Amino acid sequence: MSNAYLTYAAKRLGQAVVVILLAYVFTFVVVSILPGDPITSVLRNPQNGFSEEEIAEIIAAQGLDKPVLVQLWHALSGFVTGDLGMSMRSNRPVSTLIAEVLPSTLILAGAGLAVALLLAMLVAYGTRFVPKKYGQGLLRGFPSLFLSVPNFVIGLVLIHLFGFQLGLFRVINPDSFWATLFAAVALGIPVSSQIAEVLIANLDKEAEQEYAAVARSRGIGQLKLFVSHLLKPASLPVVTVIALTIGELLGGSLITETVFGRTGVGSLVQRSVSTQDLPVLQAIVSLGAVVFVLVNLIADLLYPLLDPRVKILGGSKRRPTTSDEPSIGSAKAVNP
Amino acid sequence: MASQDRLNTRLVSIKNAAASAAQPAPLLSVKNLSVAYGANRVVHDVGFELGRGKSLALIGESGSGKSTIARAVLRLLPGAGHATGEVEFDGREILGLPERQFRPLRGRAIGFVPQDPGNSLNPVRTIGVQAMEAASLTDETNAALRKVLILETFAQVGLDNPQRVYDSYPHQLSGGMLQRVLIGLAVLPRPALLVADEPTSALDVTIQKRILDLLTRLQHDLDISLLLITHDLAIAAERADQLVVLKDGAVQEAGKTRTVFSSPNSAYARKLHADVPALNPDRYAKLRDPGFRLLDRTSGTASKIEVSAVTKTFAVDGKVLTAVDDVSFSVPAGTTHALVGESGSGKTTTIRLLLGLDEPDTGEIAIAGENLAGRSQQQLRSVWRQLQLVYQNPFTSLDPTWTVEKLVREPLDRFKVGTAAERSEQVREALSNVGLGEHLLSRKPGALSGGQRQRVAIARALVLKPDVIVLDEPTSALDVSVQADIVEVLLSLQARLGLTYVFVSHDLALVRQLAHTVSVMQRGRIVEHGRVSDIFDNPQHGYTAALLDSIPSGISTISQTPPKAQPQAEPVIRTERRERIA
Repeated sequence: MSNAYLTYAAKRLGQAVVVILLAYVFTFVVVSILPGDPITSVLRNPQNGFSEEEIAEIIAAQGLDKPVLVQLWHALSGFVTGDLGMSMRSNRPVSTLIAEVLPSTLILAGAGLAVALLLAMLVAYGTRFVPKKYGQGLLRGFPSLFLSVPNFVIGLVLIHLFGFQLGLFRVINPDSFWATLFAAVALGIPVSSQIAEVLIANLDKEAEQEYAAVARSRGIGQLKLFVSHLLKPASLPVVTVIALTIGELLGGSLITETVFGRTGVGSLVQRSVSTQDLPVLQAIVSLGAVVFVLVNLIADLLYPLLDPRVKILGGSKRRPTTSDEPSIGSAKAVNP
Repeated sequence: MASQDRLNTRLVSIKNAAASAAQPAPLLSVKNLSVAYGANRVVHDVGFELGRGKSLALIGESGSGKSTIARAVLRLLPGAGHATGEVEFDGREILGLPERQFRPLRGRAIGFVPQDPGNSLNPVRTIGVQAMEAASLTDETNAALRKVLILETFAQVGLDNPQRVYDSYPHQLSGGMLQRVLIGLAVLPRPALLVADEPTSALDVTIQKRILDLLTRLQHDLDISLLLITHDLAIAAERADQLVVLKDGAVQEAGKTRTVFSSPNSAYARKLHADVPALNPDRYAKLRDPGFRLLDRTSGTASKIEVSAVTKTFAVDGKVLTAVDDVSFSVPAGTTHALVGESGSGKTTTIRLLLGLDEPDTGEIAIAGENLAGRSQQQLRSVWRQLQLVYQNPFTSLDPTWTVEKLVREPLDRFKVGTAAERSEQVREALSNVGLGEHLLSRKPGALSGGQRQRVAIARALVLKPDVIVLDEPTSALDVSVQADIVEVLLSLQARLGLTYVFVSHDLALVRQLAHTVSVMQRGRIVEHGRVSDIFDNPQHGYTAALLDSIPSGISTISQTPPKAQPQAEPVIRTERRERIA
């Protein structure tokens, strides 16, 4: 762990914190400039039956009578210390509401990612070891096929097939192991397509490299070549792809939760949107930003550790380009 | 009498033994080998035999099929490649062998030294991990002892700090060191046959010599048969017992090195011989003489290019690197000045300064008596118009989406020269000057050969009618015969148009053929300069002598190597300081 790396890590961490805070401020500003003052319109909705004193009390409690900048300061300092304010609907702390539903979503998203990685690996492995006559081409077509199928369709098909037809899980008990597994499969398949596409393309590229031929000349078999030579360089770009698919995993898990009837962040979002519970919504949006930034931070920090060619220069990572340029030698290699 | 009889019988048996030793079964025997990529046949009925402990060189240009033959023997042909015929290794047909049965021979019996060391090791795994793969082919089963074996081999191939090499990633080592590693990994399992595919074409000339010496030495010490693939006849003649000359996938001539080299039968082998600069230093004497006369006449008068006491430093990772250190030279009009040195000697930085791409820290550069320093961009543009550059690699320096006409016309458009009709007239003239017909005008670089591309690049430089052309290794990406072609074009242009050349190269043999004066650069300094004939016939500096010594001469080194076995752990060659870990 060199000094240059620690400097780089500290710099990246600082940037991540700044991005998260800016994301929070941004959502705050968007909420406060929304037309029609949704907060008071909710409170003054006759159906809710608040009296003027109660309204004044709630406004004072939420600090809504203070200037915007003061409100922002309170919200921001609350956010930093983990106090996300009170829900306007249920009068409970937003952090409690989120803590109730977050584990279920994290389990789903995590399982979805695991399924995606496993599937991508299997498909990529298949494209190298399934002979052409046994459907290698079909395997190569999988990623683009599943990329174009929306995950709620996959979810509905899975529920129909495994839930109703085969009876592997019961739709009324969405948190059971099998139900969670199939929800994760529905979530993971489109994500795995993106990962598999990159992985297959990179494996093909690496297999054509001269070092693969030289390794074979040392008596390395196909399986060992795949595991100990091709997989690592081909997987490096996948780290970046995974970080980018996190958004899809989060968004997808909200939809999947609805399809499978799970209680999670998705259902909380749904409820909060329909009741215009702004503190909850703002907290969830900020939370999404935090997850996204964190995952990308981890990817950025991992990359220099995984790829020895990445040089850390002045706090930014850079890959030497020399190896990509055709040298004199490779220009001469055109010798069929 | 009885004793006399006994002696006679013994003598006879010795004779018989000698006779059978002279005609042993060959280790590698190739018969009627043909290789096709789909319907495209690239190797036609090639045959040769390589004896145990002997060496054989396959020689030819790009596209001659020499590497394809090597890959067919190694069974490493890319996907669509299909080989037919017979390849017998150690009395066993290997071409039709299932991969499962051939794999035990890989590495253990047949070793491979690839062409491009920079791309031949896995970039994200350490050298040690990859060396372990080679070590696992030996009888040694203990991991610790395997590592000892690896470190011993690294020392044997002249790597200074084996442990550090073991722990390094490929990008942390220089090309020369990587090639040593690859040779080490190939010889470590003690194969009977070593296939070396252009093992030095990506390396500097002095490193090339050391690597070739190392290969020859290991071949003799370890009793390995060597199949050497090269495009350089001089290298082949130096290193091999037998030569096989290939063209378009067919054998042109084959036989003992001495015979093929000194009295080639085929026209193609004679042409190859004539095209090797090292073997024909005075080939272009007639074309070059006018320049020498100019040199005699102009001594004392102002030069076309005057570089005086130029220094350029760069800051790299906080350290100051002096790329060009107090460099001075002058080039009289109509002559060729060569800058010679290895990678990192400062030649490229010097021409960047000359072209105004970088500014010198100190010192002055004058073109046709006009000092470059302190000029406005506008004034510099007019200077640069007189000064054109031909790049090293015509495969990457021409935009592949442009036509030849557009490529050659671009400088005219950029400097807004004349009318459209005049421009297209000048484009045609420049093309005819480099010997290209008008039918090529609408072609794109992809449809041109390497030689044609470099001619286009020269035409592009010529079209502005400059006085000076800077040639940055203009032939290093080309085959010898194509190189000879380009050299001829350049020299006849100089004789006809009175051009001044600044010629950058690491190839001293080529410099000797075409330059008038030369500066030898090492670590940013000029260590020696003068007339080509003076420097080459009587080098004063040790570095110049070492460079000259590295030129393959075609004189066999095989008889000079000691017959057998030194203690194996002893390093064969010490690496030079400049080859150390960067």
